[in-house]
Amino acid sequence: MPRKIVIWVVLAALVVTFVGVLGARMAEGAVLPEIILGPLGLTDALFYLFAAMTFAGAATVALSKNILHSALGLLAALMGTGSLYVFLSADFLAVTQLLVYIGGVLVLILFAVMLTNRITEVKISNASLGLVGGGALLVATVPVLVFVAIATPWATIVPAELAPTTREIGNAFLTRWLLPFELASLVLLATLIGAVVIARKELKQDEPDTSVS
Amino acid sequence: MEQLIGNNLASVAGFRPELVLTFGSIALLVLDLVLRRSRSRRALLAGAAVIVLGLAAVLLAAQSTASTPLFNGMIASDAFATFFKWIFLAAGFLTVLIVAQGDDYPSPRVGEFYGLLLAVVLGMFLMASATNLLTIYMSIELVSMVSYVLAGFRKSDRKAAEASLKYVIYGSVASGVMLFGMSYLYGLLGTFDVLAFAPKIAELSATTGAAGAATKLALVVAVVFVSSGVGYKIASVPWHMWCPDVYEGAPTPFTAFLSVGPKAAGFALALRFFLGSFAGPMGANGMAESIAGIPWPAVIGVLSAVTMTLGNLTAIAQTNLKRLLAYSSIAHAGYTLMGLATLSALGMQGVMIYMLIYLVMNLGAFLVVIVVAEATGSESIFDYSGLVHRHPLAAIAFGIFLFSLTGLPPFAGFTGKWYLFYAVIERASGPAGFWYGALAVVGALNTAVSLYYYARIIRAMFLEAPHVTDRVAPKLGYQLMLGAFSAAILVFGIWWAPIVEWSQRSMVMLRG
Repeated sequence: MPRKIVIWVVLAALVVTFVGVLGARMAEGAVLPEIILGPLGLTDALFYLFAAMTFAGAATVALSKNILHSALGLLAALMGTGSLYVFLSADFLAVTQLLVYIGGVLVLILFAVMLTNRITEVKISNASLGLVGGGALLVATVPVLVFVAIATPWATIVPAELAPTTREIGNAFLTRWLLPFELASLVLLATLIGAVVIARKELKQDEPDTSVS
Repeated sequence: MEQLIGNNLASVAGFRPELVLTFGSIALLVLDLVLRRSRSRRALLAGAAVIVLGLAAVLLAAQSTASTPLFNGMIASDAFATFFKWIFLAAGFLTVLIVAQGDDYPSPRVGEFYGLLLAVVLGMFLMASATNLLTIYMSIELVSMVSYVLAGFRKSDRKAAEASLKYVIYGSVASGVMLFGMSYLYGLLGTFDVLAFAPKIAELSATTGAAGAATKLALVVAVVFVSSGVGYKIASVPWHMWCPDVYEGAPTPFTAFLSVGPKAAGFALALRFFLGSFAGPMGANGMAESIAGIPWPAVIGVLSAVTMTLGNLTAIAQTNLKRLLAYSSIAHAGYTLMGLATLSALGMQGVMIYMLIYLVMNLGAFLVVIVVAEATGSESIFDYSGLVHRHPLAAIAFGIFLFSLTGLPPFAGFTGKWYLFYAVIERASGPAGFWYGALAVVGALNTAVSLYYYARIIRAMFLEAPHVTDRVAPKLGYQLMLGAFSAAILVFGIWWAPIVEWSQRSMVMLRG
């Protein structure tokens, strides 16, 4: 167990440093150094490393029998995704991913997992169901999706010079994408109110109408 | 940038009903706190909700129905959207009326219900007018998120809690799959703007070789994935699994709303998405062709046949009325999908007419379930035996709704079904006519099957002796609503010209 924890901590530290350093360098407008590692450039090698990490994390979420491991796998998957955003020159998105998903959402999930009663029972917490159906779906979809992913000429944009994106994102939110932006805040507000409605104390059955709950 | 801001400001003029719903929803939540100790809190809150909906209706009526893009092409304001907006307002209004009289939502909680209900109506407004992948996704999420909460409103009720949780899980999976499909569309076409899709797809389909094959396949995959979000809202196979459990577990007034409002919104979205971006413009004969030969009409046609068959066959075995109506609503989604699969003006009109009539007849059917459940505390079909002796009005009204749901003349359901079938048969003489003919046959067989289980309820109500003899005494408001719904079904079953003309006028959709 301690060894596992060490690995996790090292991995986490690596990603945070990576995102932090790259974010900082991008803010300065620097270009990545071109170091060659055999057939792969450094960037390529890093990309595959983080992609593998994302994939391994996602697989852990789906396959692990222990829900705590699933939650930690989610951590790896989210951090990997955050690093992949850096490769897309999306610095703001990468940092937001770190702050919101890893700093906020994931910690909340871990709390929820650990505070839930009887969560250690695998049968309750993380049973694998419908293996046959899931397997069939996998066999049916994976070849199609892989073929599509590899053979399709995707519409690509050649990234411009690395530059901070925050200003553009802010402008885009308040001009062209104003309505979806406001709509997102409305969705969040409605969800918040809904969460309060669901979570609050249940009324007693025969309480009179005018009572304060 | 100045231009973008200017467009946003100018767009507010075409966005007034939505603004009223937004602020009305928030105002209701505040009013809920203000009226905390008021004696007539229930009536006042319902009145406030009705006022908000009424105000939105007035502004909607005052609004021009000319096709204009709003907010830099995020949504469209056109006659098509306006038609569906009226359906949503009516669904919201009738649900408020039903909830105000019932006790499904306890008085201390009813204010939140109204506030959140208005938020769902707003979400449906946006679903009907969204012309951008981002607004499509956001509006679906707004409707879904709030629906999860409203379905699980009664926490002490295990069934409601289970229903709500199932709804959340299915909903998240469906919207995740939809997002994945949208990412494909964006990756292929390089734009979020649904109206700009058609020319880009036509351009893409010109590529040949392995890349061309992959592109076509990617487009099909993307369309199938995106339709999972829509299919989940309208409860079509294979995204229907949540439907029976949620319909049974949710408080009945909300079930009624769910079965007509979000379903119509899903169809509005599907019509705009498929006819607007994956089909060419309609020709002089009122028929369009799918862009680049993407076989989505065939996919929708198969889904339609499977959906109605599964819904109807499963409904036969149900004894809980809410579950039965849930499967029946799946079957009706199947019928309505026929209109989408025909890819013609007539089919589009059929969907619109059907959703309008379905609103009345299905709300009416659920209202009878509410009336009987309030009197007997049961939703089982066995407690409907001899209903005609215990409460003639409810029994007769239910009979009318069920015959109308079957699609028998002279009830309004016949008008709706006639247009859907007519659209399919119109296609049967053209290319791929055999398949359309087969679809029409499947639809007709399904109608016969549905008659069987609807007639089972009718037989129980009219021919069987009641188990208990005490009379059901529904509230006056319910009686008035039942009467009005029945009258509407009968009137529009004979005199359908106004509906047809209105839908005819509303078929103008903003195109790219």
